[in-house]
Amino acid sequence: MAIPDLDGADAAMERYARGDAAAFADVYDAIAPRLLVLLRKATRDASAAEDLMQQTLLHMHRARGSFIPGAPVMPWACAIARRLVADSARRRRVEQRVFSEAPADDDRMTYDPVAATAAADDLLHAHRLAGRMQQRIEALPELQRNAYRLLRQEGLSLKRAAEVLGTTVSAVKLRAHRASVALRAALREAEELV
Amino acid sequence: MNAELRARVLAAAAAETSPTCSDLRRRNLMIGLVAAASGLGAFVIFAALMSEGHLLRLGGEVAPHQYLERPVGLVATSVGGALVVAATAVWLALRRGRSMLGRSRRRLLFGAALIPISLLAWKVGCSIAFGASMVAWPERPGERCLALSLFVAAGPLLSFLAIRRSAPVQPALNGAVIGFAAGAVAWVAADLWCPIAYVPHVLLGHVLPLGVLAGVGALLGRALLAPRSR
Repeated sequence: MAIPDLDGADAAMERYARGDAAAFADVYDAIAPRLLVLLRKATRDASAAEDLMQQTLLHMHRARGSFIPGAPVMPWACAIARRLVADSARRRRVEQRVFSEAPADDDRMTYDPVAATAAADDLLHAHRLAGRMQQRIEALPELQRNAYRLLRQEGLSLKRAAEVLGTTVSAVKLRAHRASVALRAALREAEELV
Repeated sequence: MNAELRARVLAAAAAETSPTCSDLRRRNLMIGLVAAASGLGAFVIFAALMSEGHLLRLGGEVAPHQYLERPVGLVATSVGGALVVAATAVWLALRRGRSMLGRSRRRLLFGAALIPISLLAWKVGCSIAFGASMVAWPERPGERCLALSLFVAAGPLLSFLAIRRSAPVQPALNGAVIGFAAGAVAWVAADLWCPIAYVPHVLLGHVLPLGVLAGVGALLGRALLAPRSR
């Protein structure tokens, strides 16, 4: 199914803000697929991502009256989603501390019918590499990690990413560049080890 | 795309009423009126308790046989300028420009720095321009003006936070600017009430509350304006 364009989402949100209840479905269709991708990458948990996407859209629903005509919807949605991800991670950490639970097992190998046809060694290598890279992304300073995710993984423009992060375009460029340099170094290091 | 998830989200939104643009405009207008009434009410109560109901004070006995007076023209100029700064501060704090994410960090910081500096510079500049003496009033170090400012600003601060509702980006900084805006509104009342332009007094009684309100605004902004997961 083709994803509706974001200009359509802006117009639909404007109609929804004015009281056209049916327009929310158009807003959903335009932004939900993109939001879900962002949230899956951020949480690495499909059900948590769906839950956070629902919360993001409900937050937009509650705040629809404050929508500024002509404003782009997607950076707003991304900013809300980012806040909710950070808040839910903080909540989870507090709960883990309170209940003294052991950290979740990090073994994420799951059965994948397509990959099952590949050679076992390649699969294991790819899995380890992906795991290592993910660890390195997580280990990046928060500012660099957020800039990298919005630009490289979410595909936002520099201007939009700067708006979402509340900083300047040149600061986003610098952060994303530093993140890329660190990740490239990590990739070289990981490949040398193999 | 998961049709069940789509149906669930749309049903959840349909089950929860939310204000439209026109609803919110009416609501914000009501909150604005409450803010104005609470600020004015607090000012009248404070003046009734502290200076027999005098909202405008033109001077007093600084020391035995030494009187401080400020002309009405000075009061009008000083309060008029403060009103302009307060209106600009409220506009900066509540309007988000053309983006749903609000103003950039740089603009907010610039505005936050400019509000207290311009208020202080205007008050001192007006007093110097009118040739009013900026003598110390030892009995009035500024704690009453501090109390007046905080008392008057409390209602507007909460009202402005209610009008702003949400700030997904930089909620603490947005809250701080809202605190400065509430403080600037209170500055107008303090400027009417207080005849003293002695700089240490102004710093303690008039500028310090702006800082306190910005700090409280930042804490409240972080707690109330940031979207929370449920």
